[in-house]
Formats: sequence, C-alpha cells, structure tokens
Amino acid sequence: MNPLNFKFLATCALFLMMISCTSPKKQLVETQTRLIPVNEKYQTDSLIDNYILPYRTSVDKEMSTIISYTPENLNSRDGKLESSLGNLLADLCYEQANPVFNKRTQEDIDFVLFNHGGIRASIGKGGITNRHAFQLMPFENMLVVVELTGEKVVEMVDYLNKSNRAHPLSKQVKLHLENDSIATFTINNKPFDRSKNYFVLTSDYLQKGGDKMNFFANPVSLHELDYKFRAAIIDYFVKTDTVKTRLDQRFKRIN
Amino acid sequence: MNRRNFLQNTGVATVGLTLGGLSLQSFSSDSRTKITILHTNDTHSHIDAFDANHPKYPNQGGVSRRATLINAIRKENPNTLLLDAGDIFQGTPYFNFYGGELEFKLMSMLKYDAATLGNHDFDNGVDGFYKQLPHAKFDFVNANYDFKNTILDGLIKPYKIFKKEGIKIGVFGLGVELDGLVLKQLYKETKYNDPIAISQQITDTLKNEEQCDLIICLSHLGYAYKHDSTTISDLKLAAATKNIDLIIGGHTHTFLDKPTSVTNVVGKQVLVNQVGKYGINVGRVDFYFDSLKNIKSEGESIPV
Repeated sequence: MNPLNFKFLATCALFLMMISCTSPKKQLVETQTRLIPVNEKYQTDSLIDNYILPYRTSVDKEMSTIISYTPENLNSRDGKLESSLGNLLADLCYEQANPVFNKRTQEDIDFVLFNHGGIRASIGKGGITNRHAFQLMPFENMLVVVELTGEKVVEMVDYLNKSNRAHPLSKQVKLHLENDSIATFTINNKPFDRSKNYFVLTSDYLQKGGDKMNFFANPVSLHELDYKFRAAIIDYFVKTDTVKTRLDQRFKRIN
Repeated sequence: MNRRNFLQNTGVATVGLTLGGLSLQSFSSDSRTKITILHTNDTHSHIDAFDANHPKYPNQGGVSRRATLINAIRKENPNTLLLDAGDIFQGTPYFNFYGGELEFKLMSMLKYDAATLGNHDFDNGVDGFYKQLPHAKFDFVNANYDFKNTILDGLIKPYKIFKKEGIKIGVFGLGVELDGLVLKQLYKETKYNDPIAISQQITDTLKNEEQCDLIICLSHLGYAYKHDSTTISDLKLAAATKNIDLIIGGHTHTFLDKPTSVTNVVGKQVLVNQVGKYGINVGRVDFYFDSLKNIKSEGESIPV
C-alpha cells in the first residue's frame, strides 16, 4: 500500500470514529399512522396480474366443470317448513356421512339437521358445477354426529316450532305440528321415543351454538367425522348423474 | 488490475460510501430516520379484488393493486417493512385448489419481510403448511407455539431482527390458542404457550440483548373479546407487557380507522392496530427516529 493511500484511509477511519462517538443513538421521536384502502385508485401491477392469470384460468375452469345435473330449479324457499335444496342437502349428507360414522362406531345416524340460513345459494335447472358447491357452502364447516338425549330432541322440536323456518331435515324424520304441539313425530318410521338417545348429523358450526341451536351443546357424545360439509356435497354430485329431490312433507304444520 | 490495487480501491470505495451515507444522515437538515411499517392481516386467500357489484366491498382489495401501492411506498421510503399478522390461507378456491402456494408466491413477489401464523394457516395441517413453506421467500415468526414435536420444528423463528439505516427493529409473533379453533389432527403436537409470559421474555431479549430500537409484535390473538374477560387479546397484551411499540393484530377481522393507544405496565404508550380482512386495507405506521438533541418536545408524539 502506498503511503498516500494509507494516510487517506487513516484519516477516514479517524473521521468515522469521531462521528460515531459524537452522534448520539437515535430515539423514537414521533409516530404517524394511516389506513390505506386498496381500491381502484391504484393501478394493477402487470407483473402480478400475469403471474396470477394461469392460476385464475385453471381455477375458473375447474369451478365451471359440470359434476351433476338437475332437471328442476333447486332453492331453499320453495316450501314452508321444507325446501327442495334443504331436503337434498340433508339427504345427501346422510348418504355420504353414514358409512363413515357406521364404520367407526357400528351405529347408524338417525337423522340430519342443518340451519336454513346455512344454505347460501340456489342451483338453477341444468348442469351443477363445482362453483355451485362452493357457493352453497363457502365455509370450511365439518360434519359431526351429535348424540342427543330424547329430552334434547324435544328441545330441538321446540326450537323448530318457534323458529318456524325450513331448517333442512333429512327424510328419516316425519314431523307434523298442530297448534304448536306434536301431531306426528317419527324417526325411521318408528315413533319418537323420549327415553332413547339419537345420533344427529350436523355441522361443527351448529354444534358449537351457531344459529342458537343450543340443544346441540354438551351432548352425550360428539363424533367428528373429519369430513367437510362441502366435500360431502361435491362427492355426492360427482357420483350422481341426475339429482332427484322433492318436497315430501317431512316437516309441516297441519293447521 | 492486480490484487493489491483491487483491495485498495475496494477499501477506499467502501469507506467513501459509508462516509457518504453517514454524512447524509448526520449533517443534512432533516436528520430524522423514518421507518415505515406496512401491514395486512386475515387476507384469507383473497387474491383477486372484489367484483364491482359486490354488496359489501365493491372494487376493493386485490393483490395486484396492493403491489402497486406497496411499490410506491417503498420507492418513497426504502426503509420500509411489510408484515402480515396471519390467516393467509382459506377463503377462496385458490386455497382449495393450490393449498396456499399462490398466496405465498405472491407475498414473496410483494417482498413481505415477515408474517405470523393464524389459526387458518393450519387448515391443511402442519403438513400442509410445511409443504407450502418453500414458496415463501420471507420468514414466519412465532414465539408462543412450540413446534418441537412437529414437522415445523426449527422452521419458525420466535423473532427476526431487521436493520434499516442503523435502526434495529425486532419483530416477534404470537398465535391464538388452537384448541377449539383447529382440529387436533391438523395442529398435531403444536404446543400453545402463554402469550404474556412469552412476550415478557422475548421483548426482554430484543430490548436488552439485541438492543432493538423498535419492537413490533405480529399477533393473531384478536383485538378484543367483549363478552369474555379471560381470553387474552391484543388490548390485554399491550396493557400487561412492556417494551412493545406496536402490535399488529389479526383474527377478529377488526376494522380500525386508526390504531388504539394502550398504556403498558411502565406507563408507555403501545399502538394496537388491525386493518380488517381480505386485503381491503393496508395499514401504515411511520416511526421517526432522531438523536436526542433534535427532540423538540418531550416524550412520544402519537397522534390519536
């Protein structure tokens, strides 16, 4: 190293040392905050857009894949205390979930109950797509089997009577109400027995108190099926060429 | 160029550069250093913006627009950190189809600096998270989950330290109790530890050992729980600890117009922020640092 360069370096080093000794450590002196809404004020970024495009195309294609067919419009508002879509959802979940439950417990599910508000869309006459399944069940709700005492099932009927909505029930149930009391109540063609326990299939959301279905709380036993509500819907549609469902008066008011 | 000359030149150049940087900081009229923190939470796989006819959030959100916004701010201030408080996964078919791959890839393209895990980030199990981790070019921080007996062992750091223009910023993460929120077979042997005790310990390390100038907590505990006085929340965490400057929260999808200022155990103000969900907003907090001689008023100025 030539002496000139060394001298320069040494001066620099000394200068640096002086600065670091004399300049005190910086401290937080002020804070400013802002909420920035992400909206059309901001252009899209073409690099990001182009990156997303193939994923979006593929998702759109998959979502538009026809997995089944319905000859009728299906919705949740075509009956008073039952609906075509509600009956279909309850029955298909029974069909999909009972083998899972039976394999684990050697017991059968007695019936299914969901909530009317949980049906998030309708299906028009024609092809049924994956998108329909995602619209019907956008949440990641899981299917669970809840063992209820007869007393809790009575509470459930009381809830259904008071709420007066077409909460989806599966076809194993025949519940006819007359002047706020039970006229007919059979499960699997057998009269309801208050001294017996029943296995009810529902979603984890409702079991945990969703829609104030409090009769599901603290059950005799609770069985998680590790089966998503939406997966059951898709699995059923995929194996079913043409969906058949109807209003069969499983739940109605006589008067 | 021979080796000796090369070394000399490099040496001089380095000194010159350092000197240039320092003199700028120390002698320019504005001696303040500005650290910008940008943050999101609960983006829930919302990659595309909402449709123009969406009943609640028409034309809002979208990763592509977020990129434009963030790039503009980084250009304005290179001393910017981009952070996320968890629940990156679940909410659109992008997650159902790709398991979070696109979410992590886009966050990497946006140059996120760190994120913490939310409960929904366990929706495909610790294995599903592990599988997507190679797509994340940023670190996940969490201090109160013990992943020792899971596949994530050693992959999640309790905290990370960033240095921006001489300012040391410590960022640590906290997660919500998973039991009851996530199925056990998904979170497996992940152990949940008390967020307050862990925070005391971590912030002590960050403040006293690591000598951080700024301590940020990425929390997925939730902002507050009205009807539950026992559940830990960001507001409670802020009040029960010390050394934290900013808590960036998530989980409760809370839309705050401005951060909440909470007094901590030693009487200092802690900012608690959360910006809703689905990438509808980006939060921004600018921290100004200056040498003591330049402080005009005593104490901290936090606009509320």
